[in-house]
Amino acid sequence: MAREKVVEAVGLSKRYGTGIMAVQSLDLNVFRGEVYGFLGPNGAGKTTTLRMLLGLIRPTQGAATVVGARPGSPQSLAKVGAIVETPAFYPYLSGYDNLRVVAGLCDAPGSRIGAALDQVELTPRAKHKFSTYSMGMKQRLGVAAALLKEPELLILDEPTNGLDPQGMADMRNLIIQLGQGERTVLISSHLLNEVELMCTRVGVIQRGKMVAEGTVEELRGAARLTVRAEPVEQARALLDSLVGAENVAVREDGTLTVKMDLGHTADINRALVEAGLAVTELRATTQSLEEVFMELTGTEGGL
Amino acid sequence: MLASLAWETFKLYKRPAVWVCIGLLLVLAIGLGYAVFYFVYTYAPPASSTGLPPGVTLKDFKIALYPAAFVKYTLSFWDTLGGVFALILGVLSQGSEYGWGTIKTLYTQRPGRLALLAGKLGALSLAVLVLVLGLFGVSALSSIVAALVDAKSTVFPATDDIVKGLAAGFLIFEFWAVFGFVLATLFRQSALAIGLGLAYAIVIEGIIFRILGNVGGDTVKQVLSWFPLANTGYLSQSFGSVTPPALARTVAKPFADANHAVLVLLIYIAVFLAGSAVLARARDVTN
Repeated sequence: MAREKVVEAVGLSKRYGTGIMAVQSLDLNVFRGEVYGFLGPNGAGKTTTLRMLLGLIRPTQGAATVVGARPGSPQSLAKVGAIVETPAFYPYLSGYDNLRVVAGLCDAPGSRIGAALDQVELTPRAKHKFSTYSMGMKQRLGVAAALLKEPELLILDEPTNGLDPQGMADMRNLIIQLGQGERTVLISSHLLNEVELMCTRVGVIQRGKMVAEGTVEELRGAARLTVRAEPVEQARALLDSLVGAENVAVREDGTLTVKMDLGHTADINRALVEAGLAVTELRATTQSLEEVFMELTGTEGGL
Repeated sequence: MLASLAWETFKLYKRPAVWVCIGLLLVLAIGLGYAVFYFVYTYAPPASSTGLPPGVTLKDFKIALYPAAFVKYTLSFWDTLGGVFALILGVLSQGSEYGWGTIKTLYTQRPGRLALLAGKLGALSLAVLVLVLGLFGVSALSSIVAALVDAKSTVFPATDDIVKGLAAGFLIFEFWAVFGFVLATLFRQSALAIGLGLAYAIVIEGIIFRILGNVGGDTVKQVLSWFPLANTGYLSQSFGSVTPPALARTVAKPFADANHAVLVLLIYIAVFLAGSAVLARARDVTN
């Protein structure tokens, strides 16, 4: 049975008046019930994309539907909870009064405010002014506001930005908890370990273009064999003949990376030794999402 | 739209800056509008009447401070000075949403942008109404005190005149507030909107246009009569002069009548509302 698309964007593009092409022909599909990680370095176009999905920015080209309706339409917004960049509330109002305003505007019953505050563990500070909140509390209030609608889709833009390690861990656990069941979560981040821990599927955006999409496992790809043998040139030539040159790469530290079925590791070892090469290391390795990200974007992930 | 109106009103009601703005105007209305002038007119040295026509002294100007003149005095004194406070209210109502980034919080809730805008403008109008009622209220009380101290008549103008005065005051202040609102929407911030609003009022209309009006002929005056602050002046002047009777003939009549002023101010308000709606609907929210 085909999975239901909660977000579907086709050829989405945004060119700003300054001539900057922030997003180029982006196709994006997010399915019901998944926690989708939208990855990319700073300035890659993540926030612009999310703003287009919320109707805050109009695309220059392309179209999208969000929970079955045009982005930014009351039909769509009624089912979407969102935090875009830093959560923004009225500094002179308490957290509780800020949620009253949001609940009033989105037609959510006031009885949900208490539950939302409990869920983000902000009840003890609910009557304090928003201006006195720490960054972590502001983020949690943002999540509480997003939850007031009991949304089918939660869009969170860099939700761990500015948080200390404990705050990041708390937010990560909260998002994992929110993503359970039928609710769909679309989360943007440049922190790869966060995404690896939270997301079921990932899209990588670079310079406004989607450069890879799949599950975390798919993106990391199959395990590889790392070989350290001397002399390297002979080892490389031998491995090229055994598994094909396209599957062998020499890394900067002089080790060789071999894409192959790891069931044949013993055969590789035997061939290298019989050829008179000095084998000092032979181990199976899996690429981290960060390595994949760096390979795809040419940047250092999470930095 | 009703939900938007209710919660925008709640936000303004809870906002200290709004009450500071209203409170400051009321304090000035008592202190500057009545107390200072009462003491100046009462205790001025005889030499300060130099230059006035024979038989007229500064004490004669106290007629403006008594209840019978409170409507025209309030309008003529505060049509521009008080308008500045209304401008600040209008700017704060919209400009802060951009400054705090709460515009994106608003726009990602259920109501559409135009419904939110309508609610915001409705709430702003309520704040302007409070401002006008408060201003007329404290002016009326101050005028009674002045009359009681001087043992003068405490009779107020006819109810019709008071209601017309309130309506005129509301129209003038609403113009200023909507002017501030559209500037804040245009510039997406408060500081520039207040700065340019005041610069326009004080420099363009207050100084340049006034000089042009004085030195220019009827054609210049005809052109100027289509600018907004000239019309807030015509409207307040239409309630009459607050000068002593002996000086009444020296007071220039307004170039246009109240009907013209009301029409022009309504046109400006309508244009500013439409401009705000177009900007709010069409623009990307990037902050």
